[in-house]
Amino acid sequence: MTLRDHAIRYGFILLLFGLIAYFATAADGFVSPQSAVFIFQSVAITGVLALGVTATLVVGGFDLSIGSVATSAMMAAAYVMVVLEQNAVVAVIACLLIGAVVGLINGWLIVYMRVPDLLATLGMMFLLVGLQRIPTEGRSIATGMTMPDGSVANGKFSDAFLALGRHRFDFFIPNLIPVSVVVLLVLAALIWFFLEYTRFGRMMYAVGSNERAAELAGAPVKAYKIWAYIISGVFASIGGILLAARLGRGDIASGNNLLLDAVAAALIGYAVLGAAKPNAFGTAVGALFVGILLQGLTMMNAPYYTQDFVKGVVLVVALVFTFALSGRGRR
Amino acid sequence: MIFFQAYLSGVEAQSKALGVDLRVLDSRQDAALQADMVDQAIALGVQGIIIQHGLTESMKEAAQRAVDAGIKVVAFDVNVENPEIPQVEQSDRDLARLALEQAVKDNGESWKAGYVYVAGIAPLDRRNETWVDVKKKFAGINEVAMFGTLDNPIANSVANQARSVLSAHPDIKVMFAPYDEFAKGVKIAVDEAGLSKDIKIYSADISTSDIAAMREPDSAWAATAATNPAVVGQVSVRVLAQLLAGEDPGHNVIVPPTLITQKDLVDKDIKNMEDLSAKLPQFAHADVAMPAWMPNPNAK
Repeated sequence: MTLRDHAIRYGFILLLFGLIAYFATAADGFVSPQSAVFIFQSVAITGVLALGVTATLVVGGFDLSIGSVATSAMMAAAYVMVVLEQNAVVAVIACLLIGAVVGLINGWLIVYMRVPDLLATLGMMFLLVGLQRIPTEGRSIATGMTMPDGSVANGKFSDAFLALGRHRFDFFIPNLIPVSVVVLLVLAALIWFFLEYTRFGRMMYAVGSNERAAELAGAPVKAYKIWAYIISGVFASIGGILLAARLGRGDIASGNNLLLDAVAAALIGYAVLGAAKPNAFGTAVGALFVGILLQGLTMMNAPYYTQDFVKGVVLVVALVFTFALSGRGRR
Repeated sequence: MIFFQAYLSGVEAQSKALGVDLRVLDSRQDAALQADMVDQAIALGVQGIIIQHGLTESMKEAAQRAVDAGIKVVAFDVNVENPEIPQVEQSDRDLARLALEQAVKDNGESWKAGYVYVAGIAPLDRRNETWVDVKKKFAGINEVAMFGTLDNPIANSVANQARSVLSAHPDIKVMFAPYDEFAKGVKIAVDEAGLSKDIKIYSADISTSDIAAMREPDSAWAATAATNPAVVGQVSVRVLAQLLAGEDPGHNVIVPPTLITQKDLVDKDIKNMEDLSAKLPQFAHADVAMPAWMPNPNAK
């Protein structure tokens, strides 16, 4: 391999280590187990969303609705527990169902109604931002809230559900690793194995790189595409569950920032190990990269707009790595 | 959103008490649409208009057109720069002052502080002025970190930032978060870092879920200062009624805020906004724009 190949393959990982080394010297307290765990925790929700959107990127699609699926799932969890006074299991099932159904509808719109992916999922995004407000007439959900009909909602977030956001597992140090980080790592491992090593996953890549060829080879292209959106929807709803468990409320929110951060992580992932294609490992590293940057910058008192700026720079650099340097972006 | 719901409920309550035929035009935070809606109201032939929030640039001329059409106008939290139009305000400076006075009372005059702020939002800018003054007055107050973001869900984004700030400055004693979404985020971070007994949070605004968060055992959220949005809505309608009755409510009508401490909430067993209004009477009613003939919607 030439030097150039090495640069493409390991450049981004090196950048990551360089960043860690820089913050370790510049910011007190950056290097500690707690700090490392926190970086994972801060990217857990967007990371899960990013892994989901990676599945749609693999089949050559895109899912703009993930942010609003996550916030809708958060509202659904709050509604089920606070207003309907159900337990944690019902809340989790309701969220996952919402994710799966939204994914199915997205897939159906794109595959059978022939609506372009960006437009279909954009429409779904608007739809969900509105839909999540209808049951409470635009109110955020918290215990003791007054409902539109004047009654008071007395249900509570169950302790089991809140534990998803607050419980920590012992790992050498007691109470170190939060549930959300475990969820992120498990889902990352699952989707990575699924995409790289199962027939189903490889076929999804085949659909993404050349849909027509895959179809002529007899692959059920439509089914693969729909499954990709279902995966994306379910992952987004898992992100929403983690969000609800962390906040302990149902907040009306568009989730646009979740969407943007997740997409950034997935796109940065293209550059990791010179993959030049959507991949789960890259996505996880991309999410971590953004998390490390934000943690370090915040510790150094950088205001929020510089953080957005830096995030943008990283994304652009990553895309240059992918498309110009590797030369594989041209199809 | 929560503020608007409560404000509107106050407007409705006072309108009902007065027998006003109320029309609500919701511009959904669209500045141009909001100006168009003033013209729409003029065309409807209304007698009075209350303008809630908005931008001086977009609302000034629309408000003037309404005045020219012989309509009485009241503005809340948007300066329409018109001597004919009374300005109803919740005093953001007083909000910040009340919360910070409590912080000094609880923690003395010397502590390390984290401050949550996003520039360019009018109420936050006004609250910031007070924070700057307080820092000048007490040399012992040392702001070691300033952070903040309006990325939604705000509490989640602020929690991430606050976690980073806490790992860089574990010796922070006081967090000043003069907006309740900021305070919620900081509280999540403080809890996650296991520092809830070592840090106190002071904020502005209040809601039912804020009350629950402040009441939690060992909650770091010590106090908040708030104006009841429903009361502000009531005052807005009363000022308009005074204008229509030919009385002068004054150009600046200020609705005073109330300090709400964790101790108040626990001692008086206040669990939601209704309890708060029932058990802290100064929160439920402001004796502002209350001539003798004015019906009081809060009278039981």
